[in-house]
Amino acid sequence: MTLFTKDDCGKCDYVKKHVDLDRLGVKIEVLGPENPDALAHLAWHGLVSVAEKALPILVLDDMSHLTGAIPIKSYLEGISH
Amino acid sequence: MGEVMELGRGTVPPPKDATDTVLFVRTSDMEIAGWDRHRIVEALVRETFLDEGTAEKVALAVEQVVQRSQIEVLTAPLIRELVDAKLVEFGLESARRMHTRLGMPLFDVEQLLVQPNRENANVPHGPEATNLTLAENIKKEYALLAVFGQEVADAHMRGDLHLHDLGFVDRPYCSGQSLEYLKKFGLNLPNSLAMAKPAKHAEVLLAHMVKFSAALQSNFAGAIGWDAVNLFFAPYLVGRSDRDVKQLAQMLIFEYSQQAVARGGQAIFSDINLYWEVPKHFEDVPAIGPGGEYTGQTYGAYEKEAQRFLTMLLEVYRGGDASGRPFFFPKPLVHITEKFFRTEGHQEFLRQLCELSAEKGNTYFIFDRGDTAKISECCRLSFKLEKSDLDDAKQPWRMRYSALQNVTVNLPRLAYRAGGDDTRLFGAITEVLELACRAHLDKKAFIEKLLSQGERGPLSLLTMNRDGQPYLRMHRVSYLLGMVGLNELVKIHLGQELHESPEAFKFGLRVIAHMKLVAEKLGHHHHMHFVLEQTPAESTAYRFAKLDLKYYSPQAGRYVRGDLSRGEVYYTNSTHLHVGSPTSPIDRVRMEGLFHPLIEAGSITHLWLGEEQPDPAALASFVEKVFRHTQSDQIAFSPEFTTCLACGRTARGLKEACAYCGSDEVEGITRITGYFTKVSSWNKGKIGELHERARCRGFFSAPAAVSGSAKAEGGVG
Amino acid sequence: MGFLETSFVDWPGRVAAVVFLPRCNYRCPYCHNHPVVLAPETLMPWDPEGVLGRVGELREWLDGVCVTGGEPTLHRELSALLAGLRARGLPVKLDTNGSRPEVLEALLARGLLDAVALDVKAPLEPLPYRRNGGPGAEPEAVRRSLALLAGAEVDLEVRTTVHPALLSRAELLRLAETAGALLAGPRRGATRFTVQRCRVEETLDPGLKDQPGLAPDAFDAWAREAREAFWGARGRLDEGAARAVAG
Repeated sequence: MTLFTKDDCGKCDYVKKHVDLDRLGVKIEVLGPENPDALAHLAWHGLVSVAEKALPILVLDDMSHLTGAIPIKSYLEGISH
Repeated sequence: MGEVMELGRGTVPPPKDATDTVLFVRTSDMEIAGWDRHRIVEALVRETFLDEGTAEKVALAVEQVVQRSQIEVLTAPLIRELVDAKLVEFGLESARRMHTRLGMPLFDVEQLLVQPNRENANVPHGPEATNLTLAENIKKEYALLAVFGQEVADAHMRGDLHLHDLGFVDRPYCSGQSLEYLKKFGLNLPNSLAMAKPAKHAEVLLAHMVKFSAALQSNFAGAIGWDAVNLFFAPYLVGRSDRDVKQLAQMLIFEYSQQAVARGGQAIFSDINLYWEVPKHFEDVPAIGPGGEYTGQTYGAYEKEAQRFLTMLLEVYRGGDASGRPFFFPKPLVHITEKFFRTEGHQEFLRQLCELSAEKGNTYFIFDRGDTAKISECCRLSFKLEKSDLDDAKQPWRMRYSALQNVTVNLPRLAYRAGGDDTRLFGAITEVLELACRAHLDKKAFIEKLLSQGERGPLSLLTMNRDGQPYLRMHRVSYLLGMVGLNELVKIHLGQELHESPEAFKFGLRVIAHMKLVAEKLGHHHHMHFVLEQTPAESTAYRFAKLDLKYYSPQAGRYVRGDLSRGEVYYTNSTHLHVGSPTSPIDRVRMEGLFHPLIEAGSITHLWLGEEQPDPAALASFVEKVFRHTQSDQIAFSPEFTTCLACGRTARGLKEACAYCGSDEVEGITRITGYFTKVSSWNKGKIGELHERARCRGFFSAPAAVSGSAKAEGGVG
Repeated sequence: MGFLETSFVDWPGRVAAVVFLPRCNYRCPYCHNHPVVLAPETLMPWDPEGVLGRVGELREWLDGVCVTGGEPTLHRELSALLAGLRARGLPVKLDTNGSRPEVLEALLARGLLDAVALDVKAPLEPLPYRRNGGPGAEPEAVRRSLALLAGAEVDLEVRTTVHPALLSRAELLRLAETAGALLAGPRRGATRFTVQRCRVEETLDPGLKDQPGLAPDAFDAWAREAREAFWGARGRLDEGAARAVAG
């Protein structure tokens, strides 16, 4: 799973603070002007326009994705139990 | 024979404008007795930074050459060449540059007058066309010497990048607007002999539209786009019979398709944007009707009229011209939005659209997903409407967009230089984009200089101020950064083409993501709007391939596309997959579409149909799926035709003989890049590409490499 | 076998994938798929699992899968392949020359087909049929297939390909009339009759391109007459329904 985030993003920080992403094996991609790899990865998943409106985005192993801090947190908490 | 010398200019007051110069140039022979060395001195002091003493020395040296020589007829260009040779001898290089004479050798002019121009298939051959080419050549030279810095100019000459439309260096690139400007202000151009009030009849509005397009063509290098044409005509069509509306549709399409008789012999590269539904951003906008008066209703009330006109336009497109050929211009850009699928009658309309696609290929499907409204203006250029645009939409005559210039970078060359090293490759991409950015700064400074002379200057049309701001809104213009040959860059760097493995494809995405971020950074720094564009690269893909064969052989010989032995070489356009790759239409649209959100100024996937006439309902089903399941910005289906010069009829497929009468006097027609044209006018690179295009049929493919293996990682889309 | 992931021409109104099964019992001079017939080893290897996997991935794009050939009914594995497509929720169309009515009957009985396209090569008479379909072409089998399809609940397209060197105008009209008569009366499924113009590039018989062909306008006239003959013999019962399917 991959979590797309960016700096100065309250919702991103919220997920990072409340979920042990390391333990769940979630890879974090930080979008920003210095990180073309994260942008390319986002584009590979076809989520560039989604990310313009909503971050963070969680991409699941089956390529589907979730947006919104609360749904992402609930989902990750659900699978961590 | 022989014109003689602007050297004499020093003896009369300096010319005030171009007309005086023309009057002053003498064309009679001049005897050696009439020689006056001081005219050289005066010219050098006037045109360069040389002091009078140095100028005198140069003039003396030239005089000696002239006296020693057996020259009988001395012409102004010859004197200038002699002076320039001396400046070189004296090491006065900067003075030589400033003193350069622009023009063309006799041989070249003769070639031009008798050979067709293949750089742009949209330019026919004729006295008006060669006038344009001659002027373009001089402006090109001027641009490279005087508008752009040496480093930028050299990079262009070498083929590191391509500065588009140098022959139109004194014009912005393209322009998009709406009919509302004409409906509100009439046709009222600076320096025109007659002013027209806002049109009272649809036919007059059309005349205004066509004339204004022509005026814009004279002031822009590229495409002239019109937004929501069927909607903005609608208030003029209330109460008119179907017959009248059909007639108007015919007039509109024939007017634009036959403009090749106008200036420069060049058809207006025209786009008309069309909507089945009333776009959300225009729903509540007060409609302007006959006489420039508000009708008292909003555009939301004109859906049915707009749809009626649109249906008629489609019918005319489907009929083709008098011999059944597809219309080359204006290009119909039909927007497909979320609202489209909620609007009554959209299924039947989509089927009609796809009938047109299947039969003539004209339709461009533009996908505006989500809430983003878009306006398309150049061949692929579209803009997402931002907050300020949406405010403009309330007064749609303010919606005028332009890209100032297009600079395209040669991606394969960077890969040759990087030698497989990522750091060097990405470093080189940054550098070439910075250079492209400097080219944009140079162009911007030059256009601003021209604009600063206001309505009395050469770009008076663009400075006309009818609504509180100049026609060309400089603060809103974009600067395009295009690319050619991503596919070959990846192949050179990784050994595989984009469609051959997920790694290659992902690397392609990294390159474009990097370019996008660099463009954004440059934009921040310079407070300008730099955007990536998929350059149509009609001649650039050929030029880059040729220059790389020259400078990067033997390596380049392995990577350029096409037929080397015939010189029909090219690179794959922009971020497209190789035109000949056995990628199914689904994968082509889906994979190419993954690049589209990174390329702000608009992208397209071409599906080449060849001879095959697809089933319109199947296409309609496909189009809806492209909207639902991909990120693709735009698609077009391109069939091929053969039109017979003997019997005047047109049949499907590119053939050597007419299917009707058997004559071999035939002309092939298909889409070159962003528009249909005759194959005979194509440059060699495009001919090479045409041979390799994979038509959507006639191949048996194993499951595509990328999608097949991408399954393990969860698929592509 | 061969596999084309996307076709806009093989199933009217649908985006379809096309599976080509190798080998054929006919030798039609105008055959375009002759590598499938004569040199199946040049195509991808027999891999129904690969094809099923791929069409499964493309499920949201495909309105159906067209199984063609060669002649698909020659394959024992055909019904398993069709069942596999069915299991993935994909509508199935079978292209056949009608030479194996018993196979067709079994597939119809198992409900594995949504649509059938049957190529009629010539009037249903021994000589013309062998001329256009080769020594193995037997019109009686085609007649039985048509009779079977008349009563089957599937969409049906009867197709014929016209080249004046292989089919005279009179023969085309006889063909259309006979096929129409065999399908007379109401059917439980749409019915279409399609006349195709023979394309002479890369045909099985390379000499075909040297034979004078039909100009497009002449072809249109032949096709129009043939359609009239077909629908005349059949009764115009569900032409409207056929149009609706044609879209």
